[in-house]
Amino acid sequence: MAAHTSTDTKLVTDLSQKAREIRLNVLDMVYTVQSGHIGGSFSEAELIAALYFHILRLRPDNPKWPDRDRFILSKGHACPALYAALAMRGFYALDELKTLRQFGSILQGHPVIKTPGIDMTTGSLGIGMAIAVGMAIDAKRISRKGFDVFTLLGDGEINEGVVWEAAQTANKYALDNLVAIVDRNRIQNDGFSDDIMPVEPIDKKFEAFGWHVLKIDGHDMGEVVGALESARDFRGKPVCIVAYTTKGKGVSFMEDDHYWHGKAPSEEQYARARSELMKGAIQ
Amino acid sequence: MTLTKAPSPTRRAFSECLVDLGDQDKEFVVFETDIGYSTYTHLFGDRYPERYFNVGIAELGMFAQAAGVAASGRTVFCGGYGVFITMRAIEVIRSFVCYPNLNVKILSSHGGVTAAIDGVTHQATEDIATMATLPNMTVMCPCDSRSARVVANLALTTPGPVFVRLMRDALYDIYDENDDFVVGGSKTIRAGHDVTLISYGDIVFQALAAADSLAADGVEAEVIDLYSIKPYDRDAVLESVRRTGALVVAENHQAKNGIGYELAALLMKEDLHVPFEGLGLQDTFAESGAYNKILDKYGISATAIRSAVQNVLDRK
Repeated sequence: MAAHTSTDTKLVTDLSQKAREIRLNVLDMVYTVQSGHIGGSFSEAELIAALYFHILRLRPDNPKWPDRDRFILSKGHACPALYAALAMRGFYALDELKTLRQFGSILQGHPVIKTPGIDMTTGSLGIGMAIAVGMAIDAKRISRKGFDVFTLLGDGEINEGVVWEAAQTANKYALDNLVAIVDRNRIQNDGFSDDIMPVEPIDKKFEAFGWHVLKIDGHDMGEVVGALESARDFRGKPVCIVAYTTKGKGVSFMEDDHYWHGKAPSEEQYARARSELMKGAIQ
Repeated sequence: MTLTKAPSPTRRAFSECLVDLGDQDKEFVVFETDIGYSTYTHLFGDRYPERYFNVGIAELGMFAQAAGVAASGRTVFCGGYGVFITMRAIEVIRSFVCYPNLNVKILSSHGGVTAAIDGVTHQATEDIATMATLPNMTVMCPCDSRSARVVANLALTTPGPVFVRLMRDALYDIYDENDDFVVGGSKTIRAGHDVTLISYGDIVFQALAAADSLAADGVEAEVIDLYSIKPYDRDAVLESVRRTGALVVAENHQAKNGIGYELAALLMKEDLHVPFEGLGLQDTFAESGAYNKILDKYGISATAIRSAVQNVLDRK
């Protein structure tokens, strides 16, 4: 168990339910349009649910509210989960979800700043982390608006050198309003990250860059909430949360298989996946 | 047109102007990649330490962080050497500055082969091609102190990303305080009726020298300083070329995909079939050496422009 675990059982139960709804929406979206990234959307579902239904200060009726907290999905390909959460929070109608990636849709293949609720364009890996650092600099030292900035990275994504350029800058300016979450689902496009490009020890790397690090089970909602709350309140350093997760979490045949990084399910696979998610067969 | 020796290079004039502008406009900030004493952005940092962010030798990170700051509408100037800040960071400039159309202004020093003695790794000879290709990007290159100061103002007040190519070496000043400059404008700095010479930045002075030498032979060349490269002054170019019936473009840049290619395409589109020569690096890299020797060897000097004029006049 992590050092910080939420004891608010009602909150944890409610947020777990939101994570399940996010997964169901993601499955429907990707199946409907036969395109999109399920694996990384499922691994981040608890993180997105906790952020959008508990942590972030937002106003869905005023998406550009200047004092809002910022969230940058650095692993931009996993936007189906984010798009689902934004619709569920009322930034736009749930109906929009089935237009994912389609001509004329507000839901582009990767996030763009003009979509309600999206704070910045992302999709090129590693860059979102540096954008978040810029926003945290703005909040702390330029506009001094005092909002918090959260960014979510994939574990494969930290192969990118720019992540570490940004990590240095966050240390230089002691950006304690910044929280970077690494979705450590252990799989990237071509296979297991340990085979493609070993990234461990992630915690010691960030510590060496001057960050405060928390390690959690990214599917244990109590740990997710506890870590996000304590990271938000931590002072003096930027905080990295290494969330150990499972790619494709929630659907037995999608778990731990890099095939499901960016593939859409067939009709039969969709029915099985939906039934597993409805039952919460794997928790 | 009088040439006087410039007291400092355009990079310094631009940065000095940023210091002055910083007093009038308290909102914009400056990011730097550890060459603030070369781009002279340190002057801004000395005056406004709270608005100056030196992010170290990290061009890619700088633009992404600047995009993060600019995403709320704030203006950010980013300083560095042309070859590094354009080419190492081009994807970030494209997707996260130009695509969201943010107010990121690029102070790009050491344009062209002005970093001649530093060798090819430090020469920005593809910057105009790459930056002018990006949608939403404005591209400018002032040739002297006065125009560099005005362009600093224009960069601050023009919405969206702006790329400004500046020079390492102090060359000449030709404009005075009454000269004004606008985005999409140009300056005809010498009138003539035999041939149009178009250039920008340091090569404007080579074009003027070539025009002087041609005048001694009775050839009157018109010289246009195309300080605004994107958008450029289409009307002025067409009007001049229709009158002279010949065009020579010279630039401190690869000839391929430079402004010469752009203007050649314009002439074709307008059915203006006149003799044309485009000078610049001819699909090659330059080398280390004195600036003037490099211009001579690679055909961007006054001598080369003079030969190109003879060539187009022969084809008239």
